[in-house]
Amino acid sequence: MELLTALTIGTLFAIGVFQLLRRNVIRSAIGLVILANAVNLFLLTTGAYLGEDPAYATYTGVGQRIADPLPQALILTAIVISMGGTAFVLAMLYIISARYQTANMDEVDNLKN
Amino acid sequence: MTIEPQLILLPILIPLLGAGVALLLRKRRPYQAGWSLGSMLLSCGVSLWLFVDVWQTGRPLVWQGGGWLAPFGITLVADILALFFVVMTQLVMVTGMVYALGSGDKAVKYPAFLVLFLTLCTGLTGAFMTGDIFNMYVFAELLVISGTVLTAISDDKFGTEAAYKYFYMSLLASFLMLLGIGCLYVSYGTLNMADLSGRIQAQPDGLLLLPAIGFLLATFMIKSAVFPFHFWQPDFHAASPTAVSAMLSSVVVKLGVYGFLRMTFLLFAAQAVQMRGLLLVLGLVGILFGGLSAIGTHNVKRMLAYSTLAQIGFILVGIGWGTPLALTAALVFAFNHSLIKAAMLMLAGFVASRASVKSAAFDVVTGVGRPLPAAGLLFFIGSLALAGIPPTSGFVSKLLLFSSGIEAAAFWPLLILGLFSILTLVYTMRAFMRIWWQEPAAGISTKPAGDHLLAPILLIGLILVLGIWASPLVEAAQAVSAWVADPAAYVAAVLGN
Repeated sequence: MELLTALTIGTLFAIGVFQLLRRNVIRSAIGLVILANAVNLFLLTTGAYLGEDPAYATYTGVGQRIADPLPQALILTAIVISMGGTAFVLAMLYIISARYQTANMDEVDNLKN
Repeated sequence: MTIEPQLILLPILIPLLGAGVALLLRKRRPYQAGWSLGSMLLSCGVSLWLFVDVWQTGRPLVWQGGGWLAPFGITLVADILALFFVVMTQLVMVTGMVYALGSGDKAVKYPAFLVLFLTLCTGLTGAFMTGDIFNMYVFAELLVISGTVLTAISDDKFGTEAAYKYFYMSLLASFLMLLGIGCLYVSYGTLNMADLSGRIQAQPDGLLLLPAIGFLLATFMIKSAVFPFHFWQPDFHAASPTAVSAMLSSVVVKLGVYGFLRMTFLLFAAQAVQMRGLLLVLGLVGILFGGLSAIGTHNVKRMLAYSTLAQIGFILVGIGWGTPLALTAALVFAFNHSLIKAAMLMLAGFVASRASVKSAAFDVVTGVGRPLPAAGLLFFIGSLALAGIPPTSGFVSKLLLFSSGIEAAAFWPLLILGLFSILTLVYTMRAFMRIWWQEPAAGISTKPAGDHLLAPILLIGLILVLGIWASPLVEAAQAVSAWVADPAAYVAAVLGN
């Protein structure tokens, strides 16, 4: 299970970084979304292997190793923030693609001049 | 008089509640303006009061969220370092609000402008005051979103492009910060900064400690636009509305400086030597790169944005030397740079608002300043302050930095600092001569009305006062640097043992 999770996170990071570096603004926005999920999965694994039982719900106090609830709370916060961020990125992309009539990053460079 | 620890929530809550109410007042512009300015002033007054109290008693105020004691709950720590940055931020943001209210920009008239300005203040204050590293991430996100939206609605038609660039980098920075937080959590099982500091010292060979340091360093470098991560900064700061760019280029970049201070003195005190070496080198590279780039620009606001790269470099050199005197110098420098850079950007924006086309490009503003001698005088004093010439406060910060360099016997860095201080004068004087001395080209005239000059007058006045009567600021910075050098006191105050 550890190996599978590690491979999944690694693959997601690889895909995310690759998409992020593409010249197409839409693809790089997709890269941001994939990277956000890779980071969230990474946070999940920081508390994954301490125990299996869910915290509070089935806790009896004897002989149980409960899962760490804190990383899950962190992910919840991070998901909400990255959702807001993604929505805003897409809104800005909409304006940029309408204004510049292109999705190629090299042509969105009016600030340089 | 003892202050209840709950009161340290006020500098965060007042702008946040102010933003909520300002949103409700969006249809009644005069009330919204008065309310927003009132909450900024009140919040600034409260943080000044807290700072003076913490300075005099020498004990930080710690609020444990919901009664959950640290390290389990979320802690807000108003120690003197945090409050120093909070006072600096809110002081500059009050003048930014004053400038925005007197500005003729279309962006300022948006109903959400003042609301976002207040949430920007909330995010920055919260990030300074929190004692929990994940909480810092949340506040930094609030800051980033507010700053991006404020730039995206800019009058400058490239505002959206600049905002996109910045937001893209900031999302990456927040991913890096989350990775760093995850690494720290899996190695040490806590997110409270005081608790982390103790555990890292007890066990300095944590498995993921080095990646965590790397991720957090990269995060704060992006936030502060330190040399290899700086490329978004001149675009972003030049394209945002003047009142906003004056805030971004002065106080918002100080979040990274604060992060470096917390990292080298509290979190990773055992690894601080290597980090200081890195910061020193990057600071020097930033000074070289920022100074040279500022000379090559064709736009006043862009020139000042590049100058921020160089000035952040000076602060990093101070942190890199790391002696108590150098730290005092870095703090005084950070404070003065916020005032000076905000004033200079406001003056650049003032000139642009009087130009026939609203732009700060040299072609457009050449000669525009000739009928505006008052702004010219202010810009001249600001240039002197940026270069560090008496009787301005810039002189005090440069003097402290140079004497700490002499104390540290660092000859080559000192040479670079000296040379590039003079270079500052070269590019600011070039802008001054083009705007206020040269004859305007044919067809370029000065508009009769534009932005209000009150905010830069306040800031330049403060710069002169702090240049002549520098002892309160320097003594405060000395108190901060004495406090920062003793992380055990911070840990004891937060964990309560």
